[in-house]
Amino acid sequence: MITVTINGKVCVAEEGKTILEIASANGIEIPTLCHHSSVKKYGACGICLVEAEKMPKLMRACSTVAMDGQIINTESERVIRARKTALELLMSDHDGDCKGPCSLNCPAGTDCQGYVKKIAEGDAFGAVEIIKEKLPLPASIGRVCPHPCEKACRRTNVEEPISIAFLKYYAADKVHNEGKHVVATKAPSTGKTVGIIGGGPAGLTSAYYLASKGHSVTVFDAMPKMGGMLRYGIPEYRLPKAILDKEIEEIASIGVEMKNNFKIGKDASFEEFCQKFDAVIVAIGAWKSMGVGCVGEDLEGVWGGIDFLRKVSLGEETNIGKNVAVVGGGNTAMDACRTAVRLGAENVYVIYRRTEKEMPAEKIEIAEAKEEGVTFKFLTNPAEIIGENGKAKQVKLQVMELGEPDASGRRSPVPVEGKFEILDVDTVISAIGQKVNVAGFEGLELNKKGIIVADEYTFRTNNPKVFAVGDATNKGASIAIAAIGEANKAADVVDSFLNGDVVPYVAPYVSERTVTKEMFADREVLPRAVMPCRPAEERKNDFKEVNLGFSDETAIEEAKRCLECGCHEYKNCRLIRHANRYKLNPSKFSGEKHLHETERKLVSIERNQGKCILCGLCVRVCDEVVGKGILGLVGRGFKTVIKPEFKDQGVITYCKDCHKCVDACPTGALKFINE
Amino acid sequence: MKLVVGQGSCGIAAGASKVYDSISKYNDGKFEMGISGCIGMCYLEPIVDVYDGNELVHRLVKVSEKDGEAIAKAASSGDFSTVSNLFISEEDSSFLSQQTRIALRHCGIIDPNDINAYINADGYSAIKKVLSSMTPEDVIEEIKVSGLAGRGGAGFPTWFKWNAARSSKGEQKYLICNADEGDPGAFMDRAVIESDPHNLIEGMLIGAYAIGASEAVVYVRAEYPLAIKRLDEAIKQAKEAGFVGEKILGSGFSCNISYKAGAGAFVCGEETALIESLEGKRGMPRLKPPFPAQRGYDDKPSNINNVETFANVPWILLNGGSAFSAMGTENSKGTKVFALTGKIKRGGLVEVPMGKTLRDVIFGIGGGIKNDRPCKAVQMGGPSGGCIPFELFDTIIDYKALGATGAIMGSGGMVVMDDSTCMVNMAKFFLDFTTKESCGKCVHCRLGTKRMYEILTRIVAGEGKEGDIELLEELCVSIKDGALCGLGQTAPNPVLTTIKYFRNEYEAHINDKKCPAKACSDLLSYRIDAEKCTGCTLCAIKCPVKAISGEKKNPQVIDNEKCIKCGNCKTVCRFGAVFVE
Repeated sequence: MITVTINGKVCVAEEGKTILEIASANGIEIPTLCHHSSVKKYGACGICLVEAEKMPKLMRACSTVAMDGQIINTESERVIRARKTALELLMSDHDGDCKGPCSLNCPAGTDCQGYVKKIAEGDAFGAVEIIKEKLPLPASIGRVCPHPCEKACRRTNVEEPISIAFLKYYAADKVHNEGKHVVATKAPSTGKTVGIIGGGPAGLTSAYYLASKGHSVTVFDAMPKMGGMLRYGIPEYRLPKAILDKEIEEIASIGVEMKNNFKIGKDASFEEFCQKFDAVIVAIGAWKSMGVGCVGEDLEGVWGGIDFLRKVSLGEETNIGKNVAVVGGGNTAMDACRTAVRLGAENVYVIYRRTEKEMPAEKIEIAEAKEEGVTFKFLTNPAEIIGENGKAKQVKLQVMELGEPDASGRRSPVPVEGKFEILDVDTVISAIGQKVNVAGFEGLELNKKGIIVADEYTFRTNNPKVFAVGDATNKGASIAIAAIGEANKAADVVDSFLNGDVVPYVAPYVSERTVTKEMFADREVLPRAVMPCRPAEERKNDFKEVNLGFSDETAIEEAKRCLECGCHEYKNCRLIRHANRYKLNPSKFSGEKHLHETERKLVSIERNQGKCILCGLCVRVCDEVVGKGILGLVGRGFKTVIKPEFKDQGVITYCKDCHKCVDACPTGALKFINE
Repeated sequence: MKLVVGQGSCGIAAGASKVYDSISKYNDGKFEMGISGCIGMCYLEPIVDVYDGNELVHRLVKVSEKDGEAIAKAASSGDFSTVSNLFISEEDSSFLSQQTRIALRHCGIIDPNDINAYINADGYSAIKKVLSSMTPEDVIEEIKVSGLAGRGGAGFPTWFKWNAARSSKGEQKYLICNADEGDPGAFMDRAVIESDPHNLIEGMLIGAYAIGASEAVVYVRAEYPLAIKRLDEAIKQAKEAGFVGEKILGSGFSCNISYKAGAGAFVCGEETALIESLEGKRGMPRLKPPFPAQRGYDDKPSNINNVETFANVPWILLNGGSAFSAMGTENSKGTKVFALTGKIKRGGLVEVPMGKTLRDVIFGIGGGIKNDRPCKAVQMGGPSGGCIPFELFDTIIDYKALGATGAIMGSGGMVVMDDSTCMVNMAKFFLDFTTKESCGKCVHCRLGTKRMYEILTRIVAGEGKEGDIELLEELCVSIKDGALCGLGQTAPNPVLTTIKYFRNEYEAHINDKKCPAKACSDLLSYRIDAEKCTGCTLCAIKCPVKAISGEKKNPQVIDNEKCIKCGNCKTVCRFGAVFVE
């Protein structure tokens, strides 16, 4: 027996053992990529380098036999530098997507590719399980989300993006329709309490994930029911309340307490509230409409967009009259104008100062509004709301034209001097933005815009036990999925806070490919599934849901269009794990790289040069374990690649399909194709 | 009278075979003809040596085919005054007289194709002495006394390796000669095999006896066809003469010698990669330990030495280890062979005792810089070595002293550079080499050298960024630490030493977008001095891209957008009006 000291820990081991073996037997992880116990020592990756006292050179732990009395450091500065360089070099030659661009572009990081694949396999339940790892309201969000995921979808290089949001909607509905529920398993109670103010998507999300971690969570909301903007800002025809109710019930079912009609400043002071809980999350949203900003905005008959939608949701009388003008070009404007149509207005106008091209609203929303008879007044802006007896009567519109592009790249509208238009109106609805109402939250630090300041990575406010997420923080109002993303991350941070130490959220480093349209030239064109909906003439008269949902066949076919950009091995990839552990500067050594290129020379195994790190494990396993020796290294220097030996031109049929090479691959360079 | 024509590869390339044929054609039978290998004065080839008996009476240099008749007549009559124009000058004779030749002692003198020529020059008497009077331990002790160290570059004590292989348990042991000489500009081993193959065979036999090997293999580059041919012939002759094979010279010692031609990978000069290649595998280094002395070829104890190392062995055994160690310095004993190339007046093969200065070799033997331009530096040890600036030319040839400069002794490549050499570009050249020759196995070498090459490429292209030097230095340190074998671990040396001694050149490329040596074409522009230009328009006529325009008899102008910097204009201008900035 020999004694070696590794990172200060005295380890006793049998003579002849390698440093790596001794370290791992003593719970010390030395990272390695090319080592595998089933094959001979190789020493290619240089990740397992360690330093020993009195040894001038760094040593490869995988192959160096430890000597008695040796004092080894596996994490010295010199070791880290060499190890980090190796990883940075590997990443500089790595052309692969850890995650699909859909997932990366989703503010909540939803595993879109993962659940789309489950849907393609006919497993809606499995799909919802994946979705609910990141967001607890799939049926609702699937209906209303402006789906940034789809904007990033690579399928646009072929024709159109996968209908990711509607597939989520489909899967969630299917599970509900089968009477099933996907809910998180609840960890044993921690005895810690969390008070969440605001029962919108952000508050509910934080509540769901914190409750699943075993904390005792209560959500408070000023409105009569939970759901926040999903309930009071989104019209019924887009998101039926019954759907939302079901999802809120599921959240409640894991033990989230919910208290409505509770308003900070009225029912309790913020200070009192905070005292009752171990941690507090403020998720109060942005519930104040911005005014039109012209003369006459205070007249009777001038509404804020979300105020209007809330009133309708609450079933209150609105008396909007025959002629309704909605100011703004976003989704709230679309919700308002289409709601106005359904309330019986005869002439509904949308006043927007740019052109249709610049409208931030979803294209489908604009199209459906047009079908429902809404008149769009592009390149106009309210100059004055003209009243009569204190009530709005007309809107004077300044005619605009597009000038130079602004900082956002959109061409900014400029008034055409002296050119005006007059519209007769009964109601003017201003849907040009929302503000946060922080009344009652005295003591929280606000930014210049009057919005709550929360740390970008910890979501913490100036009060150490108070965290804040969603529309009420930092940049203000955004889309629901952004609030959900923050809320989910904040749940982890709050959990760490409750466990004694705040661990900030750090976005994991991932590898991403650069692609060109040409790379997709050989893909078959498969048009995107169209969401069936009720005809305009019928739907404009009621608040029943416009969309009818995908059939199983449509959903499965649509899901099969997915290009599966994200790596199948992301969760097991040792390269990306080490890369994250050592906090790389991935662009440090950027240069020529082996491109993502898949090839199938073996019957059921696909190789991808872009992800290969030349660790040689596949080559060695095939040779030493399987005894076939089909693979080999070809070429020299940077151009070295792993290929079937002798550059075999055809498909190699003597491969046993044992896929031991695939199992040995530390990255996703090899893929078993099960056909 | 005997005329001996030097027929090493260098001589043949210069036309030695034609010279031989031409003289033979006019041979009236009054003189003999013979060949030898390379004497080392490559810059004077083809060389014809005139012997009277064993005495060299004349040395004719830069001989051409058309001199054949005159030389034959001279040889026939014994009056060489007719060809005195071909006599070597006194100055050129000093190229040899300043050297001390041990490894090269027969090179260019004896006929490499004739075992008797070797035997007549004391050949095979060392192995006779060893087999008749020495134990393997005695041999190792003698080598230890001599202080002989590995001449392949690393300078590891030869006796230690031999002793380790001898002590290693195993019935079957192998002795391997590394003749995979791959450094650009190095040709020491080639010259030894082409010129004196039996010396190598004898050295190997002694080594095999010392370690207890019955099989010895020469791993030789396939790019050395003449060396292979002469080695093949020499092995056959040695077998016939009983020096190779069973029960050599009636002793109990048997040893077979064979050779294997390598397929041209530089990395196969690394001993473990060489072994892999010998075994028929892809030439990639193995992890050490186990060292070859423990588990080498076919997993049997093996000893690997370089050609030059073996070439010293017979001399040491004949003259005694202390005679060898009498030469040199405290750390470095004996002599070292160098291949002197680059911007040098007298390029060729030289052997000098350790302890001489670089100046002695480059200016003494080599005669200094071509066209008497200013000397800038010398690259020692090829792509694994580093550059030593002119200011440090008083550095002595000694493993330690050379190592202290950041360069290495290396296997013997000495590439001399003048002021027209851009040091950044030079580093790039070597990195290009190592990048391509990296076996691809380990990350630090495969990708690290590639990235270094890319950074150097952008620097010489004028696209260098602030921080590039530091990035290079950082990569260098990590690659030295992380690479698996000597090739990778030493690959950063050319970059590190050029940064160390010529950092200003790097900075000029990066910050000022200028190449001080005016060598990097992307950073140059050709201009015409209007004062000097006569408007002859010759430059415009010779410009391949029609970048030069102007009225006849008026100053011409170069359009730098079109200019491809070929330099034609500068070459053809008779008035020195074209200049580079």
